[in-house]
Order: sequence, then C-alpha cells, then structure tokens
Amino acid sequence: MELAYYPGCSLKASSEIYDAQCKRVLSAIGINLHELDDWNCCGATSASKTDDYLAIAMPARNLGIADASSYAELVIPCSACYSRMLVVQKVLESDRNLLNEVNGELSKKVSGRTKILSILEAIRPSVDSGDLAKSVTRKLEGLKPACYYGCMLTRFPYGVPVPDNVDNPQGMEIILKTLGATPLDWSYKTDCCGASAAVNDNETSIKLMSKIMKEATARQANCFVTTCPMCQLNLDVYQEKVRATYGITRSMPVYFITELIGIAVGLPPSDLGMDRHFVDAMALLRELKLYG
Amino acid sequence: MTTALEFRPDQARSLAGEVMARSGQNLNACYQCRRCASGCPVGEETGYVTPDRLIRMIVLGKRESALDNPLIWKCVSCYTCGARCPNDIMTARIVDTLKKMAKEAHVPPLSPKVAAFHGSFIAAARRSGRLNELEFMGRYELKNTLRGLWKLKFAEIFDEHKSQAGLGLTMLRKGRMHFRFQKIKGKQEFRRLIRKGGERATGLSKSPASQE
Repeated sequence: MELAYYPGCSLKASSEIYDAQCKRVLSAIGINLHELDDWNCCGATSASKTDDYLAIAMPARNLGIADASSYAELVIPCSACYSRMLVVQKVLESDRNLLNEVNGELSKKVSGRTKILSILEAIRPSVDSGDLAKSVTRKLEGLKPACYYGCMLTRFPYGVPVPDNVDNPQGMEIILKTLGATPLDWSYKTDCCGASAAVNDNETSIKLMSKIMKEATARQANCFVTTCPMCQLNLDVYQEKVRATYGITRSMPVYFITELIGIAVGLPPSDLGMDRHFVDAMALLRELKLYG
Repeated sequence: MTTALEFRPDQARSLAGEVMARSGQNLNACYQCRRCASGCPVGEETGYVTPDRLIRMIVLGKRESALDNPLIWKCVSCYTCGARCPNDIMTARIVDTLKKMAKEAHVPPLSPKVAAFHGSFIAAARRSGRLNELEFMGRYELKNTLRGLWKLKFAEIFDEHKSQAGLGLTMLRKGRMHFRFQKIKGKQEFRRLIRKGGERATGLSKSPASQE
C-alpha cells in the first residue's frame, strides 16, 4: 500500500525516532510512506488560540499539497496534526467562501479529495487482511500495555466523523492483540496528560499525569502504548517527577505503537531508536525475553 | 469577581452575539446540566469558573469576568466538554474565542506564561513555515525572562531557567533535541497566505454539521 505521509514538526525534532519508526516499521508490513513535498507546520492548538484564519490557512496549504499528489490517502501519525488537518478539511468542505479565499493564495489548491488517516487507521487493513499476523516473528507474550490515546484521536473541536469509539477506542488494542500482547481495560485511555501545559503550567500537567499513572499501575499494566508524540514525550520525560510528587512506586516505559510492531516483526530495537527513551524502554523487553 | 450573577440586557446581547458568531457555538442551547464541568480535567484548578458557568456569564453579559478568569487560561484543549455536551456545544472553542477577545481588549492574561507559550509557537512557525523547537523555546523563555526582569522577579527567572536547563540537558543526553533548522521552500506563498491572519476575525462563524 502506498500512502502520502505528513510527519509534522515534532517528528522532525524531539520525536525524530517516531518518524524513522513509521517509515521503517510500516514498510516492513507492506505500507510505503511518501512524505508530502514542502509541507508546513499545522499550527497545532496554538493557532486556534491565536488567530482564526491562521488555524485554517496553515493546515490548508498541506491539504492542497496532498490533494495535488498522486496518493488517495494521507497518513498523519501525530495526533495534533491529524486533528487539525481533519478539522480544516471538514471546515473547508462546508464553507465554500472560505475555501475560495484560501485557494486564491495557494499554488496547489484544496479539492478535499484526500482521505486523512491516523496511524491506527493506516495499519488496520493489514490487521483485517491477516498480513500483520503473518509478519509477526515474535509474539509479545507477557506485555500488558495500557493503551493511551490522549485527547486528539477521538475528540475534535468540530463535527468530524470519529473513526473509533469516543470513550473507549479499540484501535490500538486490536493491533496489539494481533501481536500477541494482552492490552488491559482501563479508565483513563482518553484522559488528558496535559502535554500542552507541560512547559507553561507544569504542576497541572504533573497532576493530570499522576491520575493516568495511578490507574494504569493499579490495573497491573507493565507499559504504556501511545501514538501521539506529545503524550509520549510528556509521560516519558516527566514520569520520574510524577512518581516522586505523587508517590507512585512503579515506573512504566512509554512505547510508540510502531516500536512494538517493530519488535514483533523482528526489527532490532537499536534500529528503532528505543535507547532514546527517558524511562528505560529496553528493560521490560529483556525481562520478557522479547529481543536478543 | 462576584459570584452572584446580575443581568444587564444591553451588554448581554452584544457579548453573547459576538461570542456565538466567533466561536460558532449556540450558547442558548446550554441548559446547565454540567456534564462539561464534571468531565473537565482542570476543574480543580479553575475555582468557581466551570464551562457551564462560563457560558452563563456570557449569556448574562458579564464581559469582564468572561474575558478574565482562570478557565480560559487553565483549559488544556482536551475537548472533553464538547464530547460530553448533550447539545453539542464545544466550550473549548468558546474558551479559544475568549482568549482572542481578551487579547484584543488588552486584558492582561491571568497566566502570562500560557499566552507567551502560544504566541511564541506561532511566531516561530510563521517565520520558517515549520516549528523549530529550539527557536520556539528560546522565544518563550525570552518573553518570560523579560517579563520577570520588568517585574524584578529574579528568583522566578532563576527557577525557570534552572528547570528548563535541566529539561534541555536531559533531552540532549537522550538525543531528543535537534539543531538542524527546518524551513520550507515555499516561504513566499506561505507568508502571503497567512498575512491575512490577524487582520480580521474570520469566517468560522459557520459550524459544520454537528457531531453525529
């Protein structure tokens, strides 16, 4: 399967490992990613807090580039980018005046023909066809992840069709079960980790994360799995502080879904950049004899 | 802020109209069931002002309180309020609108750091077309430092720099900080496109079909 690919800014900086994993791991299961030519920042939530027009215009240029490409579908692994692009596509579809105004400035016009996919939607067909199960060389036995979706995969600031259950999404669980892991039922999978406040209001963010960690540890999860680079970084880099502040004894590695697929299909952890986590991402894999 | 809400019809009409038009949200549909309030993750931090009460303030024309309260600065944009609302009111979009109105009315932000954060993000992204995290954080810390100096809060500046330097070092050690500067080739087109931003409050008054 050939897909257009929008990495977004954080996959070119602090979450560079996620960019590399997406390309490497998805190609290992037969999905080839083609990065959009000269894409720009989507504006994330900051644009909509600053300027209504910017919040539309920034994603719109990327949508135009995708619509002009030869691919029918565009995968966006970062939850914030995914949410903004999906929302703006919907807004422009329902507001012709705004669409014409934006298109007037664009060399590649928005037509709205591109289907936008989250990384879970991009992987799903290979689960349903059985291809993913066939690629698995090492079952993730003993891995009990708390699948953490965060805010932006299922809740949107506009009425867009939500591709999973809003309160109890299953996209990650379905993939992880195919890999032989035992994802747990838990209550905080779509609660906010406060990543947007991590820098400017750290106490609030730490408090929100403490609730998520307490619930995940109480359910005996041994790791988090996420698709969002902000959630991953936040839960990973501040976990020690969360534990110290709220007296949580256990630490839990925070995996990107791509890392676990990579391990299950036999890619070496060093190729996945798994040594670049803050909470040791390798110890649990060693303990469960999932690599080496 | 007083907790007893008084009704001023002249002010109510203009405030509610403006917020509804800019946020695209029908505030009249709110029947104060408080599902938003019970789901709000920062509810413990915002004191009296929960999403339902914010809506009530606007409907009653309390402009000052609506533009200057903890909720608009503590909101983490998780969109839980909108997902829970039986009438499809997306309070997070009202909060975003009020943040912009507060800025236009020169109301000093209750949390200057939050304002500096989003302002720095957009300034950095506008300049290169892509967000470079180092530039973003540099701009943000500069704003905080200048504000601290202006107010002679040296201890605060010191604490801020100490904690950010600690974070920076950890990121650096784990290879999660990057010095390659990202920019787009189509900068001219990008600048032309976004130039209109800030010149007017657009066009988003129309809300697409509400969530199924």
